[in-house]
Amino acid sequence: MKKKLLAMLLSAATLSMVLAGCGGAAAPAADAGAAAAPAEAGADSAEAPAETPEGGIRLVNNKVEVDAGLKKLAAAYEAETGVPVVIESLGGGIDTQATLKGYYQADNMPDIFVFEGDIHYPTWEGLLADLSDEAWVSDTEAEYVADGKVYGFPTTTEAIGLAYNADILAKAGVDPKSITGPESMRKAFETIDAKKDELGLTAVVGYYTESSQLWWSPGQHIFGTYFDSGLARDDTTYIDLFKDGGKLDMERALPWAEMVALFNEFTDPAGVSGTYDAQVLGFASGKYAFVTQGSWIGATLVNDDKEAYEAAGSFEIGMIPYAFIEGQDTILTNSPNWWGVYKDGNVDEAKKFLAWCASNDGGQQILAEDCGFISPYASNTYSADDPFAKTIAEYTAAGKTSSWHWLSMKEGIGQNATGVVFQDYAMGNFADPQTFLDTLQQVCTNYYAN
Amino acid sequence: MLSPILMIGGALLLIISLAMDIGKSQSTARGPMLVVGIIAFFVGLYLFPTLKHHRKIVYFIFLFPLLFTFAVTVIIPLVLGICYSFTDWTGIRFEQVVGLKNYTTMFKDPAFIWSIVITFIFVVLNMILINLVGFLLALLCTSGIKGDGFFRASYFLPNLIGGIVLGYIWQFVFSNVIIGLTNNISLLAQTKTALFAIVLVYIWQYGGYIMLIYITGLTQIPGDVLEAARIDGATPAQTLFHVKIPMIASTITICTFLTLTSAFKQFDVNMALTNGAGSVADFMGNYLSNGTQMLALNIYNTAISKNNYALGQAKAVFFFIILAIVSLIQVRVSNKKEVEL
Repeated sequence: MKKKLLAMLLSAATLSMVLAGCGGAAAPAADAGAAAAPAEAGADSAEAPAETPEGGIRLVNNKVEVDAGLKKLAAAYEAETGVPVVIESLGGGIDTQATLKGYYQADNMPDIFVFEGDIHYPTWEGLLADLSDEAWVSDTEAEYVADGKVYGFPTTTEAIGLAYNADILAKAGVDPKSITGPESMRKAFETIDAKKDELGLTAVVGYYTESSQLWWSPGQHIFGTYFDSGLARDDTTYIDLFKDGGKLDMERALPWAEMVALFNEFTDPAGVSGTYDAQVLGFASGKYAFVTQGSWIGATLVNDDKEAYEAAGSFEIGMIPYAFIEGQDTILTNSPNWWGVYKDGNVDEAKKFLAWCASNDGGQQILAEDCGFISPYASNTYSADDPFAKTIAEYTAAGKTSSWHWLSMKEGIGQNATGVVFQDYAMGNFADPQTFLDTLQQVCTNYYAN
Repeated sequence: MLSPILMIGGALLLIISLAMDIGKSQSTARGPMLVVGIIAFFVGLYLFPTLKHHRKIVYFIFLFPLLFTFAVTVIIPLVLGICYSFTDWTGIRFEQVVGLKNYTTMFKDPAFIWSIVITFIFVVLNMILINLVGFLLALLCTSGIKGDGFFRASYFLPNLIGGIVLGYIWQFVFSNVIIGLTNNISLLAQTKTALFAIVLVYIWQYGGYIMLIYITGLTQIPGDVLEAARIDGATPAQTLFHVKIPMIASTITICTFLTLTSAFKQFDVNMALTNGAGSVADFMGNYLSNGTQMLALNIYNTAISKNNYALGQAKAVFFFIILAIVSLIQVRVSNKKEVEL
């Protein structure tokens, strides 16, 4: 009997050790919460201890390519204020929003996290801190606003336009400014196509439609030009129509589909199964006169594809509007995503950090020079090391920019619906632009219905 | 007298600590309370006046950590998942219970029906082809050719590479090497050929594993039986069909079900190779964009990419039911076979 009791107690002790292991891990987390709570409430209770990272903030970022730059930013902030900032970069195949949802369920939310505007706002509605009273709001026009309140901090500006190799265009005798509509675009393409061999081009335009990884380029960006090209920043006519069950306005969509047909005619056939890397590398090596990618490839040209870009003569690059109707003269610029502040996190410190990031003598220099961000803040004086920075600045100064209303399309539509249609068209499976458009219309209607 | 007090007190502590946790209390006492509660409960149980179940209680205490882990990682998520499938859960919160709405919408979606259809085709194709390839490789590797150890290892090797890595390697092969043979359009760009490519890669990944099981089966055939067959003048073909195959019938059953269930759950290769993309010109009167999307990937994309967690959860429950039925049949059949042997 005694022996049994001993065995019993021993096993109970083992058990308690096992469970204490779990408990031990949970306890500091609970402490962290307890410490953060008073700071957030701004109550008169003791401040969070300085030596622990609890007083600091954690930021979830989804651009792995700027991870190093953001860590430098965090280090600079800590050196200046003593508040530690932890950068957590999710990406490279990880779905950031899904991971964040997991963090929320596990009570492990970061203080600042990235979200992509209208698509993700409903998920986080009621969980984001109101940033309307922050000073930087008056310094920018790119903040994320919902229901009259500011919830998102803009970090950079990206532009969607038809990027071109200025050297090749000059050699072919084509003035990019002369491309103002479908006819002039066709004429320019034909002129360059005729001199393809002497210019060393593979194709006039690098239009890639591979749909398993690169769906976002045609399925969202090229499609996005239909919603906004040539329109005022606040013009929501076509996106409103689209949000009502995925309807397209055929009168506007047909010339747009004809532009897609033009790309198909003059593109590299490898585009139906090529990768993003191949597309950008092809442009960097001077094999394409135009490429259907936006300003983000600038960073790739001067970093990853540096050798090829220099070998091709470090040519000048620029951007023209996707002008599918004569006279459309805007490129599409926007903040691609925003930083939101979690309302139950360390809100005060997070706000201070954002204010510092937005200020000219604070984080702007690192954000521009190390992360290559094109600042959306008017007071900023640093320019990004990005070949497109100048072009974007010119269009912005001239007021020739449109918004990215495609961001409000139903979530996942590019990957699960539209991307494939572009690839199918590029492979020649649709007879004419109208058939392509009808299919696209059907796919969108179905996507909204299900 | 002590026993009931300890039991009730322990259970109370347990419930209170769990309630505190659900109520988002930040008190650090939660952990110790939970542990003390559990220990008190078991001590009370042990001290219960009748000695009849002592041994069982001790067994249970030893099993408890495992059962606890199993409950936390499998049982609770399963129950929660089934509950979520009847709501409009977004991954963050749910507003209302919608009943069977998710279950009816999913069968109205032609894309989902298509996923079911191609998954079944894929399963049948794989079940036959992988077993065939695995069995032939096993015959080859047991035929006594030189360097069979090397062949065994190299056929098995693809199985050790993770599906995602393997998928990306093959994606590279398809779009950079094989593309030269296929008129400059990658096999992955068109639905029909992409399905073929997935089957091919999956056989390459899984064939070696099945081969290994067949080798085990084949080497366990008693030597005297084979010798007797040889002395009686049986040709190699006769030996194969009348001696070897009947002798490894149970292995065939195991391999059939292994390939069946694993093909059903196919996800990583599918995701890395095509990510479900592919056009279908006309299926039930609709143009589809998810030509190569199998069930598991469809569920994943519904939840993650389309951000429709509740619908994804309902599909997952449906998927669970299919797999449960397959597994039950498997257990039945294998039990029967074991009795016969």
